[in-house]
Order: sequence, then C-alpha cells, then structure tokens
Amino acid sequence: MDFKEPLYNYEVNPPENIWANIDAALSAESAQLPLRKKPRIYLYVASAAASVIIIVIGFIVFNKRPKELSASPAFANQITNGKKTQDSILLNNKILEEIITTTEDKNLLALNYEYSLKGRKYLTIAGPEGQPVKISPKAATLIESADNEFPPKPVWNKQVDKWQQIMLSNMLSPTSANLLDIVQMPVSGNNN
Amino acid sequence: MSEQSNHIPSESDLIKGCLENNRQMQQFLYKIYAPKMYGVCLRYAGNVEDANDLLQEGFIKVYINLSKFRSEGSFEGWIRKIFVNTSIEHFRRKTQLYNITEAQENTIEDADINALNKLAVKDIIQLINELSPGYKTVFNLYVVEGYSHKEIAAMLGITIGTSKSQLARAKSVLKKSLEAINHETEKGNINS
Repeated sequence: MDFKEPLYNYEVNPPENIWANIDAALSAESAQLPLRKKPRIYLYVASAAASVIIIVIGFIVFNKRPKELSASPAFANQITNGKKTQDSILLNNKILEEIITTTEDKNLLALNYEYSLKGRKYLTIAGPEGQPVKISPKAATLIESADNEFPPKPVWNKQVDKWQQIMLSNMLSPTSANLLDIVQMPVSGNNN
Repeated sequence: MSEQSNHIPSESDLIKGCLENNRQMQQFLYKIYAPKMYGVCLRYAGNVEDANDLLQEGFIKVYINLSKFRSEGSFEGWIRKIFVNTSIEHFRRKTQLYNITEAQENTIEDADINALNKLAVKDIIQLINELSPGYKTVFNLYVVEGYSHKEIAAMLGITIGTSKSQLARAKSVLKKSLEAINHETEKGNINS
C-alpha cells in the first residue's frame, strides 16, 4: 500500500510551547533527583528481588514431585505425628483461608499477618501432598490467582509455568506492584 | 544562537550530551525528532490536545531512558518505539478491547482501501482519526508501523483474533468513508 510510506514519515511542527513544558519537567525532575532517584532505584531492586524470591520459592515448592515426597517415610511420619506441627498447620491454614476468602483488601490483610508474625516470616501450610510448606502471607493472594478453591489443589506447577510464559513474552518487568496484573494477562498467542 | 550552537552535533555526541543532562543537546534532539514524532502522536491520539500530551510525555521518557539505548538498531527507530508504546499506554487508559472470535472477521481486501493513495496525507490522517481508538491503534500498528498480529496482540493484551477483527473493521470503515468521498466527488463533477 503506497500510502503507508508517507503516513510513516508524516511530519508536523509541534506547537512551540511543548519544548518549554518539557524543559520545565526536566528541570523539576533533575531538581528532585538527589532526593528521589536513589531510593527509587533501591525500591525497584527490592521489588524485583521480592518478585524473584516469590517465583523461585514457587518453583521449588510446587515442582516437588509426589514420587520424591513419598520416598521419605520418615518425613511423612514427621508430618502426621508431630501434634505441634499439625496444630501449627491448622492455625496457618486458617490464616491462609481467611486471606483467600476475605472480601476486604487481601494484600493489606496479608501484610497485617506478616507484621503480626514477628520473627516468623512464613506461614506453614499443608501443601498439595499434605507436606508442610512455608510461604509468605503475601503468597496467599498468588494462590488465589492460581486456584480459587480452598484448600488449594496441585495445579500450581501448571500455573507457575503459565506465569513464566506470560512474563517471558511480556514487555513489562515484574515487580511486587504489578506481578498480579501480569500473571492475570492472557498468554501471548493464546486466543482465550 | 551562537555559531557553535548552530552546528548540528553527530548522533553519538547528541546522545552523550543528553546523557550528561546538557539542556542544549536535549533541545537539539527535540528539534530533530519532534516533527516526525508529532506525526506519530497525531496518528494515534485523535486530537491535538492528546497529541501534545503524548509528545511531551514521550520526549521525557526518551531523555530518562536514553541510557538504555544500546546502539544496536537505529536511534530514530528506538525513539519511535517509545512514542508508539506511549501512545498504546494512552490508548489502554482510554479504552478496552473486547476479545472477538475469528469467525467475526470480515475480509476487506487491501485493494478496497488503496483509494487512500489518491488522498493527501493530511486527509488520510483525518480519516484514520475518525476511527474508534481500538480500530485506529491496530490499523496504525499493522498497516503503518508494520507489526504482526502476534506482536500487536502481545502489545495490547488482546488475542490475535481480536487484532485481526479490529483491523478488518477499521478497513471496512475506511472503505465506507472512501466510497462517500468518491460519491461526493462524482456529484461535484456532474454539477460542474
């Protein structure tokens, strides 16, 4: 189509005040630079690190195969025999259920639990095979994205693979702020 | 401007100067690329006010992200990509595309809109700007910028089928507009 070339190269002189606006915005940006740039970088790095940790924990926890788990009877006994462990799992499952089913702000509730669990940074919940799994309270919202049922079913491996595909094909960098938005996007090329 | 400031710097000097936050170099860069990028903004925005905002936002992004330019492709191509992405973000804020099945596509041939060749660029842009934001964005990305439906789907967070149907509908609307223009022209010729 011949009209493509002139459209692609179409040029118009912009209004003169635009550069003045850009100049003012750049001045404001550089005036705030010493105060704001470093903490911003740290914030991005911290967010990226948090996202990577969540994904890595997800892979480690959810990629454990049933075969490997059943190969350790001592481990299974430890799960079922320890009353303290069972009580802890029950309590933590309750917290997890509360986070998943709440109609309030899930992230806020998860954060509240994180602060209230001083010295214990993780919730220990029963994993898909009944094994104790340590997760961050914030991961409860991710589990909700993976599976709307409680207790969660072992569909997480597939879900984590899907998230990986979405992130690899996405232009956006995952951070703790946009991770949930990204994982809820359709996989590139998927017509659903 | 002094004699020195009238000298047009090389691309590498321009980039180096902008990275050093040299305002004169930033203004040079603006003067070189603003007319072409304003043309891009006008094609996506639909009105002058939005195009002005896009131009301003786009250039600020260019200056802030200049350190990420790796000199692997053309500098103008890199700048254009920033403006296209800025326009897409603007489009995503303003509208939502609904996924449509492939069955709803129609089959307008390119020959049907080749009559656009007879129009001046300004008139073509006016016709494109009369399209709805979804049609216009997909038409610009596919026909003018040369992205594939797969790339467009990933950029806009829609399916390939939706991208194809939006393009087909955009062509259909353009075809009708062209027919109306032809009809008016013929009527004018008969009267004269």
